[in-house]
Amino acid sequence: MLLISSRRLLELDENEAYEYVKAALNKELIAPYRSHELECINSVESCINCGLCINHCPVVAAVGLDRFSGPRSIAVELSRSPPEFWSAADIVYLCTGCGTCREVCPKNVDIPEVVNLIRARIFEYRPDLVPKGLFMVRELLIEYSLAFEPWEDKEEKIESRNMRLERLALPLVQDKVLDKAEVLFYPGCQAEERAQEVREAAKVILDFFDVDYTLLEEMSCCGLPARLIGDEETAVSLADKLKKKVKSLGVKSVITTCAGCTGNLSYLSHHFDWGVPTVHILEYIVEEIGLELLRTVVKKPSNLSDVHVTVHDPCHLIKHTSRQVMEHALNILRELPGVRVSESEAYDSCCGGGGLVSYHSKEIANAVVEENLEAITKTGAERLVTPCPLCTAQIESNLFKSGSSVEVDDLTVFIAQRLPKKE
Amino acid sequence: MDLECDLLVIGGGMAGFVAGTIASNAGISTVVLRKGQSATAYSSGAIDMIGYLPEVSEPFSSPEEGLTTIAGLYPLHPYSIVGYSEDVEPSRVVAEIVERARGTIAWLKKYLKDTAASLIGSFDYNVHPITVLGTTKPTCLVQETMFSDSLQQNEDNVLLFVGLSGYPDFNPSAASKTYLEDRISVGEPPRKVGRCVLEIKPFGKSFNLSSIEIARHFDHEESIDDFAAQLKIQVEQLGASHVALPPVLGLRNALMNKKKLEEILGVQVFELLGFPPSIPGLRLQTSLENIFKREGGKLLVGHEAVGYNRMEDKVTSVTVKAPRRKIQINAKAFILASGKYIGGGLHGDENGIRETIFDLMTVTRAYHSASGILPSRYTNRLSISPMGQPVYSCGLTVDPKFRPVQEDGMEWASNLFAAGSILTGYDYMSEKSGLGVAATSGYSAAKSAINFIKEVA
Amino acid sequence: MSDSEFDVVVIGGGSTGTAVVRDCAMRGLKTLLLERDDIASASVGTCAGMISSGLKYQGEPEIMKMCSTEVVYFNRIARHIIMKNPILVPIRDFSVVAANRQMADTYSEYAEERDVPSMMFLTPEATLEIEPMTHPDIIAGVYYEEFFIDPFRLCLLQALDARNHGATIKSYCEVTGFEPMTNGFQGVIFYNRITGLIEKVRTKIVVNATGPWAHKIANMGGIELDLRLNKGAHIIFDRRIVNVGITTKESVDGRWIYLFPHENTTLLGTTALDTWEDPDTLVASYDEIEYLLKSIEFIIPSIREARIIRTMAGVRPLVADWNIPEDEVTRGYRVVNHDNGLISFVGGKLVMCRHMAEAVTDLVCKKLGNDVVCKTHETPLPGNENDVDIETLSREYGINMHILERMRARRGTEIVKILEMTKENPEWKTTICTCEPVIEAEIRYAIREEFPQTLNDLRRRLRIGTGPCQGTSCTHKVAAILSEELDLEGDDFLVDILDFRAERWKGIRPSMRGEQLAQEELAQGMYSCVGNLEQSDVDYDMKPWEEGN
Repeated sequence: MLLISSRRLLELDENEAYEYVKAALNKELIAPYRSHELECINSVESCINCGLCINHCPVVAAVGLDRFSGPRSIAVELSRSPPEFWSAADIVYLCTGCGTCREVCPKNVDIPEVVNLIRARIFEYRPDLVPKGLFMVRELLIEYSLAFEPWEDKEEKIESRNMRLERLALPLVQDKVLDKAEVLFYPGCQAEERAQEVREAAKVILDFFDVDYTLLEEMSCCGLPARLIGDEETAVSLADKLKKKVKSLGVKSVITTCAGCTGNLSYLSHHFDWGVPTVHILEYIVEEIGLELLRTVVKKPSNLSDVHVTVHDPCHLIKHTSRQVMEHALNILRELPGVRVSESEAYDSCCGGGGLVSYHSKEIANAVVEENLEAITKTGAERLVTPCPLCTAQIESNLFKSGSSVEVDDLTVFIAQRLPKKE
Repeated sequence: MDLECDLLVIGGGMAGFVAGTIASNAGISTVVLRKGQSATAYSSGAIDMIGYLPEVSEPFSSPEEGLTTIAGLYPLHPYSIVGYSEDVEPSRVVAEIVERARGTIAWLKKYLKDTAASLIGSFDYNVHPITVLGTTKPTCLVQETMFSDSLQQNEDNVLLFVGLSGYPDFNPSAASKTYLEDRISVGEPPRKVGRCVLEIKPFGKSFNLSSIEIARHFDHEESIDDFAAQLKIQVEQLGASHVALPPVLGLRNALMNKKKLEEILGVQVFELLGFPPSIPGLRLQTSLENIFKREGGKLLVGHEAVGYNRMEDKVTSVTVKAPRRKIQINAKAFILASGKYIGGGLHGDENGIRETIFDLMTVTRAYHSASGILPSRYTNRLSISPMGQPVYSCGLTVDPKFRPVQEDGMEWASNLFAAGSILTGYDYMSEKSGLGVAATSGYSAAKSAINFIKEVA
Repeated sequence: MSDSEFDVVVIGGGSTGTAVVRDCAMRGLKTLLLERDDIASASVGTCAGMISSGLKYQGEPEIMKMCSTEVVYFNRIARHIIMKNPILVPIRDFSVVAANRQMADTYSEYAEERDVPSMMFLTPEATLEIEPMTHPDIIAGVYYEEFFIDPFRLCLLQALDARNHGATIKSYCEVTGFEPMTNGFQGVIFYNRITGLIEKVRTKIVVNATGPWAHKIANMGGIELDLRLNKGAHIIFDRRIVNVGITTKESVDGRWIYLFPHENTTLLGTTALDTWEDPDTLVASYDEIEYLLKSIEFIIPSIREARIIRTMAGVRPLVADWNIPEDEVTRGYRVVNHDNGLISFVGGKLVMCRHMAEAVTDLVCKKLGNDVVCKTHETPLPGNENDVDIETLSREYGINMHILERMRARRGTEIVKILEMTKENPEWKTTICTCEPVIEAEIRYAIREEFPQTLNDLRRRLRIGTGPCQGTSCTHKVAAILSEELDLEGDDFLVDILDFRAERWKGIRPSMRGEQLAQEELAQGMYSCVGNLEQSDVDYDMKPWEEGN
């Protein structure tokens, strides 16, 4: 600690003064906003405390206002007084980041971003208040630049992949890693290390339509989990790492199969000037490949009977990117022969898998998805399709636990299964 | 991805959805943009047509009486403009206004009939439902769960106000006293009231209860029985003939629950008009969206109009922004129903009042330009009074086809129409005319837009 | 001595009045406080709450010394309601730097005793990093530290402490006249606004601590007292829009203007205009609003993008030094002993209130032959006895940490008493004011223990209605609780709502623009469109500022 003389000024030179001030402000828990946070902070000013968000928040509906004081409290009270951010620690980690509050808000107050901001401050100033379960993810991100622990044995990884391909009757398309390409296909950590069938299915689709794509030589996380933990430093470093890779490949766009990655990469692209848009593969199919072309090539797979499905809309697509993306999903499904779609009453209701809530408060994440399960069962559908590995995992495990016979497919896989063998 | 349609409606509230549903029903391909929910979703469950003349304290006995008076005194009130549509003869203007308004009310009742926001009431008389404060207000229609036709009929009626422990939005003690004092001062029944506080615990706790968790709790079949059992004791103790509840009886099953309670208790049960965050408002918003989609309309949620393109006298497309995407929507006609300050249709600061998408001419209620005014100058010293606050009457002025006009009195574009609270010429707060103007102007704007599209085709 | 006989009657429940009644009571004098409205409802209720080190009074070194010492005392006795205010002075014009050097030396003289650093210079880059909203053309920054105190809590705690030491506190009692001295006692006649009765007490000494009304009270005793009344206005922004306090002399007219983050708002102040208007009718004028915005705009260029919630305006009772500009009038205080049992104050600032009280109480004690020494600088105010562990309390009582942290900032150790109430009545854990937040238990406790009559009084004690929504959501909920606790009529419930909406509107209206238009639309929608309050047949009294056109 610097010794301060109380006599004349300029005893401290300007650098020492700066260090003193930073330390003093640190002690008061005053954390200056960074420039990329200002847009979000300014949106909070528009909140008129109407409470409409409370009526729509899936966490409030699942556990009650007393347990989770909800988006209104995050906007109106918790964000107003930065030195008190630490006291939000018992609330702010329960948000699944679905963005429903922002979507219904008459002023579109950016509450999900405020949540990230508060978490970042708590992480920096009171890491003792961060839920322990989140540190596990952080360790993975720091050690592997991935949000899931990678396979130690690459052979086993390939074996697992092959088993999935066989089970789902998908062909194997060899990995393609180029120096330059039109598009980058970015599967996301979950498809890379766990739900490999999604990664494979995307390659099948892109290959079928002769898209000039490449994979990354070495997959690394886009950093969304780090942002959700509040670990700004790791988030920024992962984002930078990925940006460099994207730029060096000279691609015109990035295609992904994960809703979270779509939303996060679009966010990063906007705030950190990537100049390269990211789209979900559903968008690419409809907007670049085109429904007409799709219509002419799809056929009912001989090994699959007619199927009655219902759809789940991932929040990171509809509420963080655009509702149109799931319109595309429905339009695609309409082109697939033998597929009947019934809309679930909770089709756009959060599955509870987001916000890293399940890493520390699993019972809350599972309470959130209850409503979805009821509605899904009510449709009478046999299968549920959704274009996000995170939603797939969350809904699938909960359907299973509830004793339901409804099975879950990733939509990318579902589409790939209905493309004919490439000649 | 860019879209194309016949009619683009900007704004997903009462005005926007009435307009969109009518257009869809007429075979016009319609897209409604909704960037966020707003005043319609806050509504208390009442559909106001016209309760008071501005600055007057005697309520109108019926919408017809009110509309006739408005037409005579305020020729540029949105209701009055309705009368000029379709080249009506001067002698028939008032009749036209009344007919159009009556038609709108009938339309609302018909379309919302089997939804969670089904309405009851008549164009021929105003009703006076009770609010959570214990006050009453004149209105035209209320949701079926909020109605009791016999409350003021019988001298011996006894009204029990029922609160919920840990639910702060309604306090039966204050409301019952207020209501009784009002009844005494007007000398009408009911002459006896009571109050009680019951406990329901959606999540095992009786504090910090939100309207939504209570409503969902009541949507579950069994929970109303437990509540009925508690309530029965209170009803019998007081000898109540009527029970007033806060408006949380359910999202889907409110009407069913009301009927079940009436059956078990043998008394009439109704919900009070409440404040945001409002369950009846949520029922109304959801029901409007559903009927629009059922008629074949396309709803784009989370999309905000941020710009436009124009060629000669027509708007050709509107630029629309989603959280991380931007698209163009091309249409033949456009209806602007973007709301007031809450909805974001208007914005006011020390440089004046501005319409936020097309920068259309805004005026005060006295038809002076509002583009240079200081908002605080258009306020009254009294916060809550029959004089209201003039700044909430500012907005767009329209021609008989509901097209916003510019300084020379001519339409800004031949294919741009406006409806709802973005219009000037009325004060929905003190008149009690909000949803009525929204629905009626939405209806009229839709008719004009449909005619335009059909003519152009 | 009978019940209606006192040693001292103090008129005026502001910062000075409550400090006097505390000191007198602590020294064993039988004391009565008569306040026309509510504690802290006048000048002290419209100030920024800064207990300044006296930085502006370089020309009055004794005052600077006194201010510094008082800050030390406040930190000792009222730590729980004090917040640190780190301040940056961004500088664009080099000539201002020279002026700052002198100021810096004077400030630093007593910095150590207040446990703050001496002033220090920062590079422009460092300044911009600490406060990114600063104008990019700055050439340097100066950093120093001051303190805030919650003025309402200070006055209330002083009054409560006085009551704990045997004083009688009567609010809503307006003094209407004096009776001449007989047998060493004079009569004080007052109108009790709650009971509607006229009452009288006899006392040896009267202390006139009525601030801007000091001359009116003195007149009642047949004495001429001159005051120079000075209006000051503030603008209040939603949330803390700057990280640290910003002060600047590079304003419209070279006066010091400040922008301070304060609790969950930001204060911009202040103006200083000679005034002869009735203090009860004062509202901020458009000129004052624009003056303040333009002044700070030189240093914080994006200030107009921030959301203005409301304004507040009050009157400083300055010492009557005429023929000089108002900013040259001393901010020190004078004690005027009228020698007929009446003692008046003029001048003074919030930070001096305890000192003023000590001076007067010394005088009173001398007159009454009491030789107990002053202890007000050592004795902690209620709630300040210990630290409070929010995290443990949160777990124990099952209430969110943020709620408890805000409660702690108002009540310190008293928080436990309130939480205990929730054991028997768990429904009182319900959050009522969602901007602060404030739970029902604290509201009921304040009603029972802190003698409020209206929602506005509760606002001073709890900060309900001070957030961005300005009571839109909580007015009717708090009114209902007040109605229950005080067993009010139905009409009173509605009048309480109308009164509070009127009081908030007074501050919102002059600056209304931007998001506040949407906020008020919601409030009007609730209370007028749905509640139909303007049509309810209640006895609403027009407020002084509502009269006229």
